Amino acid sequence: MAAKNGRAVAELEEKASNGRKTENERELLLGLYRMLVKCRMCDEKARILFRQGKYAGNFYSGVGQEAAEVGAAYTLREDDWIAPSHRDWTANIIKGAPLNLCFAQLFGKATSPDRGKSTPAHMGYPPIHTITPASSIAGQLAVGTGVAFGLKKLGRDSVVVSFFGDGATSLGGFHEALNFAGVHKLPILYVCQNNLWAESVPLRLQTALKDLSDRAKAYGFPGISVDGNDVLAVYDAATRAIARARAGEGPTFIECKTYRWYGHSEIDPAKYRMKEEVEAWKKRDPLVLFEKTLRDKKLLSDESKTKVAQEITQEINEAVDFAEQSPYADPSELAEHIWAQE
Amino acid sequence: MPRTITMIDAITEAMAQEMERDDRVFVMGEDIGLSGGVFKATAGLYEKFGEERVLDTPLAEGNIIASAIGASMVGLRPIAEIQFADFITPAMESIVQQASKIRYRSAGGYGCSLTVRICCGGGTGGGLYHSQENAAWFVHEPGLKVVMPSTPYDAKGLLLAAIRDPNPVLYFEHKKLYRTAKGEVPDGDYTVPIGKAETRRRGRDMTVVTYGYMTTLCLEAAEKMSKEAGIEAEVIDLRTLAPLDREAVLESVRRTNKCLIVHEDKRTLGIGGEISAIIAEEAFDDLDGPIIRITGPDVPAIPFAPPLEHAWMVNTDKIVAGMQKLAAY
Repeated sequence: MAAKNGRAVAELEEKASNGRKTENERELLLGLYRMLVKCRMCDEKARILFRQGKYAGNFYSGVGQEAAEVGAAYTLREDDWIAPSHRDWTANIIKGAPLNLCFAQLFGKATSPDRGKSTPAHMGYPPIHTITPASSIAGQLAVGTGVAFGLKKLGRDSVVVSFFGDGATSLGGFHEALNFAGVHKLPILYVCQNNLWAESVPLRLQTALKDLSDRAKAYGFPGISVDGNDVLAVYDAATRAIARARAGEGPTFIECKTYRWYGHSEIDPAKYRMKEEVEAWKKRDPLVLFEKTLRDKKLLSDESKTKVAQEITQEINEAVDFAEQSPYADPSELAEHIWAQE
Repeated sequence: MPRTITMIDAITEAMAQEMERDDRVFVMGEDIGLSGGVFKATAGLYEKFGEERVLDTPLAEGNIIASAIGASMVGLRPIAEIQFADFITPAMESIVQQASKIRYRSAGGYGCSLTVRICCGGGTGGGLYHSQENAAWFVHEPGLKVVMPSTPYDAKGLLLAAIRDPNPVLYFEHKKLYRTAKGEVPDGDYTVPIGKAETRRRGRDMTVVTYGYMTTLCLEAAEKMSKEAGIEAEVIDLRTLAPLDREAVLESVRRTNKCLIVHEDKRTLGIGGEISAIIAEEAFDDLDGPIIRITGPDVPAIPFAPPLEHAWMVNTDKIVAGMQKLAAY
């Protein structure tokens, strides 16, 4: 009798546990979806604002690559770091930067984290540990590797995600950093968003490799290539790599095969690409692909989709207002922040 | 207690004492651990502090600096060694684009408390790629502090100041001074302030502005001029090249009304050019003669063959000739 009751309890517990798992999965999938939509909408808004002449400089759209960005950064903890590149303005959004600051960054306003010093897409925000990028490709990756080195020396279990494109893998600094990370088993994920074009240079002129993840072999740590338009594929790879890094087992190279829909920047019409290539990739829109997954699981309806979009639109509109109304830094700030205040 | 020690020993002592005092401090570079450095600047540190804090790095100067920058961003205090100033070029990206700009581009959000020890200088038969004194490259980059000691006392005090400075400091060491410069050095803790020049010799007739190894030669030349011609030169050792101690130079020039600038580095766009411009802008009315520079020539680097190297190097005779020329005004 007791045994029978015991089994019943166990069954009930298992059921409850499955329920929790289902609930957790549901929360995760909807969270990923919302973040994908948020990144897409913010990025498209950034493009529109630039084209409207609302801010100067330039913008490097990551539309089409959101699954790689969100999948890799979504599970990071507050104490984890991101070393973004020029196309990773949205990495700040995923890591939790308030949208007000992100749009103030585009406008170069004094309310942005760098008070208008860095260009629109080069955003970092120290409270969430995103490193303000330099424009020099792979320079960021090397410094991010140094942060991982420092974290390991301090005995912390935080990790670094380094975002970069296919072009960055050709630089000497890339090799030096990955070699060092391999030697010291540093807690870092090298997330390469291979979008097939480094500005206007096609991949075939960048490297003889078919899979950029093969580069990891040279540094003695694992490299994998995933469908960069499949957010769950990236998420799974990143989750495993993060666990590996936290456990002190070292870096992982994740190549996300993806595609940028627009030019290198907003002033690049990208006429060097074949229309057919662009159209084929747009048919593999990471957002549409994931929507289908959610609809199949009955987690998304037209109604809930509209609701998400409406909420984000409102958030964006408020952020744009904030950015527009914010002041520029006073010219007297020109020579500030060169030296530490002792 | 002050003792008489060499410059290289003063440098080693500064690192050892600071590592003892501050757990955040560590050293990294090529051949600095097991071998104790090609000039033995880190001798004994590996045995004392272990690999965790005395790290032999892969042969990649760019990454030595980049990884040190990253480590400093999470609160550590790295001392990175560049074995020869000639090999600093692969690290230009890390130093010029990252170390000097990370604070500015993040409006103070991120900082970089980094010391880079760089062995430099000619006159030892090192040839084209083991002799360069290229500190001026970095003086052009606001955000970087650049120092170069000429005495063992300053070597220790400036290095301790550099390690504790919350900004990136490039600390140039002239290899010719490592074992030839000997002097009194306290065994305890002290710092030499960054940004302050030191007057090594008082004189009424002309100001000689110099730094590093050249300070020794300028002092020799000044003694010679004093004995042979009764000309009394004031010798200012800059010690810090960025930020320059403009006031020390201007105050002296306003008294002596003449200025000779001496450096080993190439002439064009060298430190001498900048100091000349500062004097021309700020003390034009005080000058009784032209500003004269005695410098290395505009030749790509110091050639190997001894007569060629000798022809490159600034020496006491060249400095005396410059002093005589200036004294004639």
